[in-house]
Amino acid sequence: MTTPTATARITSKKQTLEDAYSPPANFLEIDVSDPQTHGVAKKRYTDYEVRMKTNLPVFKLKESSVRRRYSDFEWLRNELERDSKIVVPPLPGKALKRQLPFRGDDGIFEDEFIEDRRKGLEQFINKVAGHPLAQNEKCLHMFLQEPVIDKNYVPGKIRTT
Amino acid sequence: MPSTPQLSPQEEQEKLLEEALNVVKTQAFQMKRCLDKGRLMDGLKHASTMLGELRTSLLSPKSYYECYMAISDELRHLEMYLVDEFQKGRKVADLYELVQYAGNIVPRLYLLITVGTVYIKSNELSRKDILKDLVEMCRGVQHPLRGLFLRNYLLQCTKNVLPDAVEDQSTESNGGESGTVMDSVDFIHLNFAEMNKLWVRMQHQGHSRDRERRENERRELRILVGTNLVRLSQLECIDVEKFKQSVLPGVLEQVVNCKDAIAQEYLMECIIQVFPDEFHLQSLNSFLRACAELHPNVNVKNIIIALIDRLASFAQNEEGPGIPPEIQLFDIFSQQISQVIQNRPDMAPEDIVSLQVALINLALKCYPDKVDYVDKVLETTEEIFNRLNLDHVEHGSPVSKELMRLMKIPVDTYNNILTVLQLQHFGPLFEYFDYKGRQLMSCHIINNALENETLIPAQENVDSILNIVNCLVQDQNDQPEEPDDPEDFAEEQGIMGRFIHLLQSSDSNQQFLILNTARKHFGAGGDKRIKFTLPPIVFAAYRLAFRYKQLQDEDENWEKKCQKIFQFCHQTIGALIKAEQAEIPLRLFLQGALVAGQIGFENSETVAYEFLSQAFSIYEDEISDSKAQLAAITLIIGTLEQMSCFGEENQEPLFTQCALAASKLLKKPDQCRGVSISSHLFWSGKSAKSGELRDAKRVSDCLKKGVKIANQCMDSSVQVQLFVEVLNQYIYFYEKGCEQISVQVLNQIISKIRELLPNLESNEETEQINKHFKNTLEHLHHKLESSESVGQYEGLVL
Repeated sequence: MTTPTATARITSKKQTLEDAYSPPANFLEIDVSDPQTHGVAKKRYTDYEVRMKTNLPVFKLKESSVRRRYSDFEWLRNELERDSKIVVPPLPGKALKRQLPFRGDDGIFEDEFIEDRRKGLEQFINKVAGHPLAQNEKCLHMFLQEPVIDKNYVPGKIRTT
Repeated sequence: MPSTPQLSPQEEQEKLLEEALNVVKTQAFQMKRCLDKGRLMDGLKHASTMLGELRTSLLSPKSYYECYMAISDELRHLEMYLVDEFQKGRKVADLYELVQYAGNIVPRLYLLITVGTVYIKSNELSRKDILKDLVEMCRGVQHPLRGLFLRNYLLQCTKNVLPDAVEDQSTESNGGESGTVMDSVDFIHLNFAEMNKLWVRMQHQGHSRDRERRENERRELRILVGTNLVRLSQLECIDVEKFKQSVLPGVLEQVVNCKDAIAQEYLMECIIQVFPDEFHLQSLNSFLRACAELHPNVNVKNIIIALIDRLASFAQNEEGPGIPPEIQLFDIFSQQISQVIQNRPDMAPEDIVSLQVALINLALKCYPDKVDYVDKVLETTEEIFNRLNLDHVEHGSPVSKELMRLMKIPVDTYNNILTVLQLQHFGPLFEYFDYKGRQLMSCHIINNALENETLIPAQENVDSILNIVNCLVQDQNDQPEEPDDPEDFAEEQGIMGRFIHLLQSSDSNQQFLILNTARKHFGAGGDKRIKFTLPPIVFAAYRLAFRYKQLQDEDENWEKKCQKIFQFCHQTIGALIKAEQAEIPLRLFLQGALVAGQIGFENSETVAYEFLSQAFSIYEDEISDSKAQLAAITLIIGTLEQMSCFGEENQEPLFTQCALAASKLLKKPDQCRGVSISSHLFWSGKSAKSGELRDAKRVSDCLKKGVKIANQCMDSSVQVQLFVEVLNQYIYFYEKGCEQISVQVLNQIISKIRELLPNLESNEETEQINKHFKNTLEHLHHKLESSESVGQYEGLVL
């Protein structure tokens, strides 16, 4: 005897052509690039261009570009760790050893090191910004889209309608 | 931990693929061993592990494909085993359930498809239901690459089991509904829609900077999607009606709505290729309407051209049925193409013209007799240019190249300018080219006429053609300030000269009108052109005069008409004189005099006299170079010597004038030669009444004068040369029997030459003179010894 149940399934709704072919609604892409080293001696530091492209409605700007240094990333990570409920991924290491005096090379300003760090930061920020819960945090928006980070800001959530 | 050396992406891929293939090999081996031993469950477990390799995201599409091929090879063993088992009485339904417990979705669905195929072959359950179930279940994999290959596997496995019957042929014994061809269509439509979706989505995967590489990978996968269309085309029960009503609309709906240029371009070409021409012919409107809705980046031109080319060769296939008369192929394409153009305001003008090229090719191949179709295309093109405000198509630009291609097609296809002239919009469209473009096109048209020897039989035709190729006929407002290279210019005008000879009507009166029209056009060509174009007109007119002579019995006015022709020629030659030409008009007048003399119409002596006297005036007024003067007088003498129409009162002054003119040449050697040549007038020159003159006295006078002038020459080398020449003249007349010339005179000149010759400086020139003299003497020797001329040269001293 045949078993008609073998092919009995719960019927699903047919996808519309619009849904099938429209580009994804959660596009988000962040590039960390163009490292530049500024200043001298103790005030010497490197910053990076953080360029974002998205079609997520939660972001005010669909394209933005800011310059951030390692300590800015640290600040963002601390804010998220404190205010959001997500498990924040780690940043690339601080490379304390490279910051000791009397090194034969440029320490944390070596090109190779900067490139490694750039990759790490890019990975970090893409993971963080891709998280739906992090996307509600004011600090993330300020980090990605405001020219200057106001560290005295009032922490809070972004309202989305 | 030892650091591994960095691998290049390609090496990385090779390594990953090798690892995957190793797993496949091992697992396949295990699977087969288990199956051999009848341990189906264990076999399935190994198959599932093997299939696990297709879950990877690390392989490039190319490597993934290799892995997939290896695995689908191995799955065939499983399928064969299952078919065997089924024949031994095993229930497949259980298996169908069983494989759905596989933990991962990719292996699960591959197994489900494999078992499902066997299930269908077992006829246990409705084939229709199983197919529907399989194609629906495959939705579970939404990863583009994995999904595309999974669905390709579905197409592969079901290849031979798709229902292909108009009516359901199921009976109780084969498990219910076995389905109809329409079920197969639905199945493939659904699979196609899903594959197309996954394929289009691939572009959104990964970082946007890798987009180009990804799009290339996407193109490599297109054949997976296209297989759906191939499968549809293989269903034998699909007829024109089903194709039109459901197969094509279902495909086009996906193609149009995916709004993706790569997919659309490929799939549209795919449709053209996989389905038969008869189907296309019956569904042109839907297909072309879809073309008009494609993404702006789609090269829609190529798609339409591909379709037109196919249908055109279908129409031309002599063994085929041809285009059904009820299908207005040209109108459909014409309308739909204009819709496509309207929908694409940014379409490059050259692409628009390319479409017209395709359309004109269609018209010429499918409807070779319909000139108005071709004209319609030209009209449309003109309208488009107007709309785009394109009034100056610059040479070398893509539009210019395409437009040239477009307009050369009727020229090269008809190989008959007269047919081209029936195209009302050919001329107007021609005007859009810039000077250089018009020039090239004009040369092309004229050369075509020359190659095909197309005769232009009516005045209106001449008018139209010369208006079209006007830039070869007259100066243009937009021509460059620097004139063309003189050689190129001469070549271009040379072909116009040749073209004039094609202006021929079998009706003589029409021919006269033609020549008048030609002169009107070419006469305005300016001094540089007319020396190339007016002479052929004059020659054509002379030819016409001969024709009237032949018609004298039919046309009582023939003499008046001849008179008119000579007036026409007189004027035309006059235009050349105004353009400061001398040598050509001189020759044309002489030729005219000869023609008039030969035809002998009522007034021909007067006309011939007039033409000769005109030649004389040119000789006197316009030719100043002494070499040219000698050449001219030689020509005049030669012409007069030929003529026999003159009565005494005209002949005498002309002959005397010639001899006089010859003796008045500036340089002595020229004088000498001129005078000795004029001697011939008095010997073989003819008068109307008495034929050849044979005036020995005047011949001898001329030659004596020649000797006298030669004596006056200072340059001894030239002098000897002249003596040898005059000696030859003497010998000529002596042999003709001129009684005034004696052997003594010959002896005198010979001894004179003998005396002078050794004193000449030895050089090449002297060598020549010597040779000439020797040859002359040899001739005389021969005469002396010859039995035929015994006594003729008595007393000659050699």
